[in-house]
Amino acid sequence: MSELNLSPLRRYLPEDLMFLAGQPAVYHCHHFNLFLDQTIDDALGPELGGRLRTRAAREFSHHLLQAVCAKQGAELPPERLQVALELFRLMGHGRLHLDASPSGGAARGTHLHYGFAWHEKYGQKVRRLDPADAFGSGYAAAAIEVAFGLRLGAMNAHEQSCVAMRAPACDITLDATQTLEEPRPFIGEAEAEAATGPAENGLFEDIIGPISNGLKEFTAGVAGDERGLVQAFGVFVTMHLAGYYNRISFDALEAVRAQSPHSEGVLADLLRESGHVCVFNTFGGILLSPEWEGLVGPLVDDPGQILAFCMAMGRALGFGRWIVADFQPERRFVLRTPCSYESTYYRTRFGIAERPVEYFLQGAALAMAQLAHRVHWTARPQLTPEYYQQLFKGGVPWRAEQTRAIVCGAPVSEIVVTRV
Amino acid sequence: MSDRNLERVVEEIPSLRAVFITAMPDCLLYDSWLKADETWTSEEVASYFGDLIRANREGLKALRAWSSEMQVTIESTDVLLVLREVSADFVVSFAFARNAPLGMVRLHVKRALALLDELLPKIRPEERPRALRISEFLTRYAPDAHTALKRAALRSGVPVELLERPEHLSVQQVEQFERSVCAILGLDTLSL
Repeated sequence: MSELNLSPLRRYLPEDLMFLAGQPAVYHCHHFNLFLDQTIDDALGPELGGRLRTRAAREFSHHLLQAVCAKQGAELPPERLQVALELFRLMGHGRLHLDASPSGGAARGTHLHYGFAWHEKYGQKVRRLDPADAFGSGYAAAAIEVAFGLRLGAMNAHEQSCVAMRAPACDITLDATQTLEEPRPFIGEAEAEAATGPAENGLFEDIIGPISNGLKEFTAGVAGDERGLVQAFGVFVTMHLAGYYNRISFDALEAVRAQSPHSEGVLADLLRESGHVCVFNTFGGILLSPEWEGLVGPLVDDPGQILAFCMAMGRALGFGRWIVADFQPERRFVLRTPCSYESTYYRTRFGIAERPVEYFLQGAALAMAQLAHRVHWTARPQLTPEYYQQLFKGGVPWRAEQTRAIVCGAPVSEIVVTRV
Repeated sequence: MSDRNLERVVEEIPSLRAVFITAMPDCLLYDSWLKADETWTSEEVASYFGDLIRANREGLKALRAWSSEMQVTIESTDVLLVLREVSADFVVSFAFARNAPLGMVRLHVKRALALLDELLPKIRPEERPRALRISEFLTRYAPDAHTALKRAALRSGVPVELLERPEHLSVQQVEQFERSVCAILGLDTLSL
């Protein structure tokens, strides 16, 4: 069995969607991860929300682990468990310890990304009443399923105690179950390619291409430290399964639509907000990092250039081949992409939509316009929660409208951001 | 309180940097005095001090150790704070320079409070709708405050447009709203 390394398992489509051992994957920071999980729990309540998040984690982790174990030549249960735990650490999700058989058992987590980051970010402000590590729990269940050759959904997981609730560690129980979930359509590279339009060039390509390639090289070497965390650019970064984000978002939307349709718009707004959270924290953190200065040089206060940098980061993080289709300073910015992790998932699982559903992309585009025009980058501001509030509270002077959507049958998705 | 009354009471107190008077139970700024070179925002400070006294009162009651003479002293790196309830209607907070002698501070606070007790109105301020106070409490303490109302709307099932005008909520909606705020803040009850 060969030593596990993320880089050879990672592949970008020419249209810049990223895959890890054939599973759609992206890089996202803890601010985004926590905000999205919180939104799901707000929509469904902590019990149903936690259950959905655990199942989504189990589903996509199961597919990932099957593929990685096969590539690594891990055939025996101990080998497969070893691969699972090391992969979890390398992806920046923390450290898991498993003590389980096909009939169940327990997992213990230390520095699990969600619980640890929640405690770091919110622990001094609010008390958490429910565990935070549904992703770690679902992953642990999937690890046992794959290690012992069980079917997807054969193992349930439930986090009993969590560092976010001020417990010393995260303890997860694992139980075998006979109630399997209905199989859902698989989403891999072929499915993504089927839902991808033609790649185009936009403005600033001479800037975007080389930086994107440099960032891809840089992130190829990024992996969890001894704690299993990736602490970089002022955030905790994870390599994460796009299917997890998509399933929890779209299943929550479906549930809200069925139970309280008047709340669907608010949920969509908060999913868009997750795009603001990502761009402000991750993109902002990268721009202000010494690594960025080493790769690109000192920042300048030029909105066009900042948008070009955002396109490069979006591509390197695996979000798709984002291009600046049009840009008029202080007036208009058009982001176009032949694919997105949201549209790939939606087209594969639901088909054609009546209206655009790429909420993350919509929020990200608007936040990029705001950051490009309103942040004084050369002053190197601190990206604090207070600064975020200052930039985004009470609405922003921009409006984002998705004018074309792959989920609606268009060849590309396009967000037009205009000054209000 | 007339513009000059508070100033007359406190302006001669040595090492005093500011005084904030918070009207309870809404934790709104009633009056303040700041030394000329201070840059604090009285409105922001006052509400937190009101909440602090209220939490302190509830904590002491739980310990069966509460008395109306309760006074809170905070010694931070930069400032020496003394907070005190004046009747059930007002909390007066004195901010002194950190190096002010504690004995001198207590003496001046006692004298100033005696004067303020005479000057502050005895009529209980009209209590505002509970839903409005819940909304303000949420905005004050929720992380990512600008999204807090939307989060409460999702949790409670009460449309966000209604939560934006909380004074018009029905009794049932106020209960749903309050439960959602408790959940967001991780609290069993709201101390309002």
